[in-house]
Amino acid sequence: MALTAPRTVRPAGREDVAELLREATAGGRTVRVVGGGTASRRGRPAPPPDLVLSTAGLDRVLVHEPADLTVTVEAGADAAELQERLARAGQSWAQADDRPGATVGGLLATAASGRRRLRHGALRDAVLEMVLCTGDGRLVRSGGRTVKGVAGYDLHRLAVGALGTLGVIVEVTLKLWPRPTASAWFGARGDTAAMAALGEDVRRRLHRPAAILLGPGRLDVELVGPAADVVAPPGLVPSDGPDPPAAPGRVEAGVPPTALPAFAAGLARLGLAFQAQLGVGTCAVGVAAPDEVAAVRGAAIALGGHAQVVDGPEALRADPWGPPPPGVEVMRRLRDAFDPGHVLNPGLFVGDAGPAAR
Amino acid sequence: MPTAVARFREVLGARVLEHPTERLLYGRDGSIAEGACGLVLLCETADEVSACVRIAAGAGLPVVPRGSGTGLCGGAVPLDDAVVLSVARMRRILSVDPATPCAWVEPGVLNLDVTAAVAHLGLHYAPDPSSQAACSIGGNVATNAGGPHCLSAGVTSQHVLGLELVLADGARVRLGGEAPDPPGYDLRGFVVGGEGTLGVVTAVCVRLTRDPPAVRTMLIDFAAIADAGGCVGRVIADGVIPAAMEMMDRRMVQAVEAFTGAGLPLAAAAVLLVELDGTPAEVAEQEEVVVRVARGHRARGIRVAADAAERALLWKARKSAFGAVARVAPNYYLHDCVVPRTRLVEILEAIERIGARHDLVIMNVFHAGDGNLHPLIAFDRRDPDQVARVLAAGRDIIEACVAVGGVLSGEHGIGLEKRDFMPLTFTEAGLRAQGCAREAFDPHGGMNPRKVLPEASRCGERVLDRDALPPGTWL
Repeated sequence: MALTAPRTVRPAGREDVAELLREATAGGRTVRVVGGGTASRRGRPAPPPDLVLSTAGLDRVLVHEPADLTVTVEAGADAAELQERLARAGQSWAQADDRPGATVGGLLATAASGRRRLRHGALRDAVLEMVLCTGDGRLVRSGGRTVKGVAGYDLHRLAVGALGTLGVIVEVTLKLWPRPTASAWFGARGDTAAMAALGEDVRRRLHRPAAILLGPGRLDVELVGPAADVVAPPGLVPSDGPDPPAAPGRVEAGVPPTALPAFAAGLARLGLAFQAQLGVGTCAVGVAAPDEVAAVRGAAIALGGHAQVVDGPEALRADPWGPPPPGVEVMRRLRDAFDPGHVLNPGLFVGDAGPAAR
Repeated sequence: MPTAVARFREVLGARVLEHPTERLLYGRDGSIAEGACGLVLLCETADEVSACVRIAAGAGLPVVPRGSGTGLCGGAVPLDDAVVLSVARMRRILSVDPATPCAWVEPGVLNLDVTAAVAHLGLHYAPDPSSQAACSIGGNVATNAGGPHCLSAGVTSQHVLGLELVLADGARVRLGGEAPDPPGYDLRGFVVGGEGTLGVVTAVCVRLTRDPPAVRTMLIDFAAIADAGGCVGRVIADGVIPAAMEMMDRRMVQAVEAFTGAGLPLAAAAVLLVELDGTPAEVAEQEEVVVRVARGHRARGIRVAADAAERALLWKARKSAFGAVARVAPNYYLHDCVVPRTRLVEILEAIERIGARHDLVIMNVFHAGDGNLHPLIAFDRRDPDQVARVLAAGRDIIEACVAVGGVLSGEHGIGLEKRDFMPLTFTEAGLRAQGCAREAFDPHGGMNPRKVLPEASRCGERVLDRDALPPGTWL
């Protein structure tokens, strides 16, 4: 194992990425792919890679077609800068998370949907076209630069959320949405169960709210649309919107949306910080110790869901995913086909055997 | 095959069809392709599907999954005497959860029957292909089907939360479900649009959508097709994504009006059917933009549906377009390209020129809002010269779309019809990678073989430029 930090390379074009990965596969050298580094504490603890591949050199916005609501951008582009540019045209990548410092490719590799998912859907549904460089250096394009298309297999659907274990996302075309005329947050404070009930009431009462976020003792609702629609729902007052839960580590749970209030109630009893997306079924939970990870996962599984550790020190990540997901054998074959040398992102493939199985 | 047939009969009894007439029927789908069916299996449960797929795999028999058989790209057409596995009898709605809201349904359930089952709850299933009264949810999943209202609501993949799949070896797996974002690769999302090559879907968890509080449906009449196309692009560019925005050209308007009597303007060069939905304030905001843009593009008249009945009549006119063509010619060939919305006007002009060049009647009815064209070539199949010109014109249309940055199919799929056009938009490496992904699901190639990818689009094999279709295939 190298005692010095692994060398970082910053390819300036897709051909450089391909050559680098061809050589890495030929030489059996492992490669960690890094965008903005905002999701770097993720996956099973693994030995340091032989090489770090930074996408910082691939940061161009290639084509923005405002009249078609599409943008083609390189993976290393800063997502916030892209959003600013799109906002000047009255548009947005509506499904994306807004964590500072993240790149377009990093958000896609981690399938980081944003807080408006209830209204706009999941991040993966906004990807129209992708250029992926496989682990052995093949440049592969899938999809097309139109807002609709069913030509061939959507390899980009596999790459979104794959944590860079099938290939390096090099370039994508995204479907954009017009920005709403108005938007605002509204909040309420009280008993968590009462807040959950209030949130469910908002969900039934309003047509397509942007977000209904439940936290310990608080509810936050974002409304977007014409100004006439952006008014405080009964029981809520204007607010600044919530911050994500602060803790040494973070678990992302997914449960059936109908089970989310019960899941949140359990988290409140455990005294954990959390932010649940009512109507969606996702919940970010702050954790500080391995037994808290186990408790959160146990509760999620009992309700028909799952929980993965998405950020935290190594001690919290001995088992980041829990039980193998259905179809893991297919996933292994996909990994073998797209990264035959298993050089990409050690520790980040869900099907890798954990320490207990070694 | 005799041993395998006996084993299929052990599972399905009399629901194994061998008669030549039955095999002939199952040798076709809604496309113009004709194949050769060796045997038909009518499955009624996921256990039966699993058992049959296992038997077929053991005997080395290719399996072609089939829903209602309404597909337009030959995806359900069997080649080489393959076994057709029909899920059309799996028609139960397994559960409805009005709170999520979602429903688990079997793959043979018809698209419109999902909405019919939940309409009393104020819910509907959003993707609405024109064939929705006949097409199945399983087939919708296979093709990642669209429809007019997919402009704002998104296509099938956005409305499938989970599915149960029988893999090529007969193993059963549940991918996704009500709980979002399971760990690992999004196999659920990848299987939607897999055209029956990745396994047989035996149950689907569909997302249900709440009915919007306000709806406004407008029919806009233009004197020039370029004005209608320009209006579509300007509405989108001005930040309005309607629920649906459909275009019909003059020939289609006249055929539809003769068929439905919906009161369409017969003198129009093109009409747009625009539907807006949302809150009353959203609809009002969008309507203001649409009306302003339409007037700016010299709209001659804007008819707003006064009530639900008039709205239903306008949609009936749109959705019966393909039936109406029967009054023009005995057969039609429907295309399905997509172009960037900014290129609509020029591609419509190009298609008009292609029709003239091949001396064919081309009619247009399509999802203008997302650039999804459906040029429809009316013809008479009994005339071999016409057939040759139809095929040549089809190729020209596809090439014209690709030349302006378009894709081969918007919602019908690749199947057999466009398989050999795939190299127009994908590189050899890209096709091989697609083959790799397919093989991860089906290592031995028994599921709906010879569809979607040109033959030999395999990991490590050279992609052939074009290869011959088997004898007996009519395309």
